[in-house]
Amino acid sequence: MKKILSLVLAAAMTLGMCGCGENAGSPAQPADGGQSAVEKYGSDTLKLFNWGEYIGEETIPNFEKEYGVKVISDYFDSNEMMYTKLLAGESYDVIVPSDYMIERLISEDMLQPIDKSLIPNMENLCDSLKNREYDPDSTYSVPYFWGSVGLVFNKNNVDRAEIEKKGYEILRDEKYKGNIYIYDSERDAFMVAFKALGYSMNTENEDEINEAFDWLKSVNDTMEPAYVTDEVIDAMVNENKDIAVVYSGDAAYILNENENMDFIMPNEGTNIWSDAMVIPKNAENPKLAHEFMNYILTHDASYDNSITVGYSSSNKEVLDELSGEDGEFYGNAAYIPREGYEKDEIFHDNEVLKKKLSELWIKVKATN
Amino acid sequence: MKALRKLVYPYIAWAAVMIVVPMLMILVYAFTKEGNSVRNFMFSLDSFKRFFSDPVFSEVLKRSLEIAVLTTIFCVLLGYPAAYAMVRSRFKIQWVLLTTIPTWINMLVRTYAWRGMLDNKGLINSFLGLIGLGPYKMLETTFAVVLGMVYNFIPFMILQIYNALEKIDKSYLEAAADLGANRVQVFLKVTLPLSVPGIISGITLVFLPAVSSFFIPKLLGGGKYVLIGNVIENQFLTAGDWSFGSAISLIMAAVIIVSMYITRRIDRKISPEGGLDK
Repeated sequence: MKKILSLVLAAAMTLGMCGCGENAGSPAQPADGGQSAVEKYGSDTLKLFNWGEYIGEETIPNFEKEYGVKVISDYFDSNEMMYTKLLAGESYDVIVPSDYMIERLISEDMLQPIDKSLIPNMENLCDSLKNREYDPDSTYSVPYFWGSVGLVFNKNNVDRAEIEKKGYEILRDEKYKGNIYIYDSERDAFMVAFKALGYSMNTENEDEINEAFDWLKSVNDTMEPAYVTDEVIDAMVNENKDIAVVYSGDAAYILNENENMDFIMPNEGTNIWSDAMVIPKNAENPKLAHEFMNYILTHDASYDNSITVGYSSSNKEVLDELSGEDGEFYGNAAYIPREGYEKDEIFHDNEVLKKKLSELWIKVKATN
Repeated sequence: MKALRKLVYPYIAWAAVMIVVPMLMILVYAFTKEGNSVRNFMFSLDSFKRFFSDPVFSEVLKRSLEIAVLTTIFCVLLGYPAAYAMVRSRFKIQWVLLTTIPTWINMLVRTYAWRGMLDNKGLINSFLGLIGLGPYKMLETTFAVVLGMVYNFIPFMILQIYNALEKIDKSYLEAAADLGANRVQVFLKVTLPLSVPGIISGITLVFLPAVSSFFIPKLLGGGKYVLIGNVIENQFLTAGDWSFGSAISLIMAAVIIVSMYITRRIDRKISPEGGLDK
C-alpha cells in the first residue's frame, strides 16, 4: 500500500513540476493537390517566434491549410528574452521583434536581407511604415503591428480635459494616490518620465537621466503605484484603478471591453513603436518565411490578427476598415497611432543606456 | 550486479551535461566582465563589488530572505497540523491526492487566479460586501505575496511531514502511553521529535523556491516587492548583463548553502536519529 502511495506521490510531483511550452500545429495537405510544400520551399515546416497572444485565431491554421505546411510557434514576452534565445543558437524562420531590437540585430549582422519580389503585398503597408528610421528601406523587416504608449483612464473618475492638460504629470497628482498602474519595464517607465520632463527618451545626458529617476522616485514614494505588465488589461477592464500607462493595442482592447474607459496620447509626446517580421541568418526555411510574411500582409490575415489582438494593423486598408464607421474599433481612441507628431519618438538601440536604466529602475521600485 | 552498474553511466553523462556544465558556466560568468561571450574571458570581481557596494541589492536580498522565512514559518504552522490530521484520517490516500492535485496545474495559472480573488472587486471582497464588510485592499500587499507563496509551496511541506509521521512506528506511541504519558506528552516527546527530519526537509523544499521566486511577488505584489529573483531575472532577460546575474545567483547559492548547513545542525541537535533504538 505504501509503495503505491509513494508512487502516486512521485508521479504527482513530477507531473506538477513539468510544464510544457511548445505548441505544434498539425501537418496539413496542400489544398490544391499541386506541387507539395517540400518541393516548393525545400521543407514544409515554418518555425515562428512571436509574442504571446499576438496573432489571430485562424491566421496560422489558414496558412497551414492554404500552403500545405506546418507552423511551429514559440513565444517570447520580451525582446531581450528573444535575443537571448537567438544568441543561444536557436533557429527560427520568422521572428517578430520590436524596432530597437531589429536595429540591434541588423547592426550585429544577424538578419537576412528580404527579397521584396517575393512579398508583393508590401504595397499594402501604411505609408508611415514604408520608411522607418531603424530600417529605412525595409531591407530586413516587414512591419507586423504598430502603436503607441498612452494613458488609459476611467471617464467617470477622471476628467478628459484635466488629463489632457496635465499629461503624464497626472501620475503625480495625489488625488489619484493608490489609483495608478505604471508599466513595469524600465524602457516604458523612463519614457514616461523623460517625456513628462520634456526630454528625448533616447537621451544619454546624465542630468536628464537623474531627473527622470527622481521623477519616477517621487511617483513611487508618494503615489503608491502598482507596477504591472499584461495584468493591466484585466485590471483596467475590471475598473480596479483609474489611470494606467498602457500600450495602445492593449488599450484598444480595454476600451472595447469597458465603455467607461478612455485613452489619451499625452501632448508631451510618446513612443511610436512598431514590431516587424524578420528572417534571422540561421533560418532553415527562408523561402517559406517570405511566403508567410506575404501572407500576413494580406487583407484577411491582417484583419484577423488586428481584430483579435487589438493592435494597429500594418495593412492600410485593414486599418481604415477597422477604424471606419462599421469597424470593430470605430471611435476607439487607442486604435490609430499618432502620425507625424514632432514630440513622438521611436526607441533606438542603446546598450549602455538600457543597462543604466534597468539598474535605476530596480532602485526606483526597491527602496520604499 | 556488476554488469548493472554500467547502467548508471548514461545518468552520469546526463548529469554532467545538464547540471555540472550550466553550474560551471554560471561560475565563469560571475567572474568575468565585458559582454556575454565566454571567449573573451577576463577575470574580474566587478560584479561582486557592484553587488556589495550598492545598498539597494543587500536591501533586496534582505527582503527576499524575510519573505521566504515568513513563508516557511506559515508553511510549517499550517502544514504540520494538516499532515498530522491526514495521517490519522481514514482517507489518507484521498487526502494526499487532494494535496497534490493543485500542483498538477501550472503555478503561474494558479497564482494568476489569486489576482481575481484578491482584487478590490474580486471574489473575496464581493463576498465580504454581501455581509457588509470591506472592500479591503488585499492585492499588491505583503499579505498577498506571502499568501501566494504559502499557497504554492505548502504541498511540499505537508507531504514531507506526512511521510515522516507515516513512518513512525505505532508501538512507540503505545509504549509511551503505557508508561503513563498523556496525549500531549506523547506528541511532544515522541511524535514531534521523530517528525523533525520531515519538517527539516520540508523547510528546505519551501525555503529554496520561496527565496528565489520572482513571479509570485510580481503578480501578487504589484511589482513593488522587488526580490532577489526579480533582480536575477532582470539581469538575464532585460539588462542582458549575464555576469552580474550570475554573480547574484552565486551569492544566493552561498546564502542557501549556509542556511542549509544551519538547518542540518539544528536537525542533528533536535532529532534523536534512531536514539530510541539504542
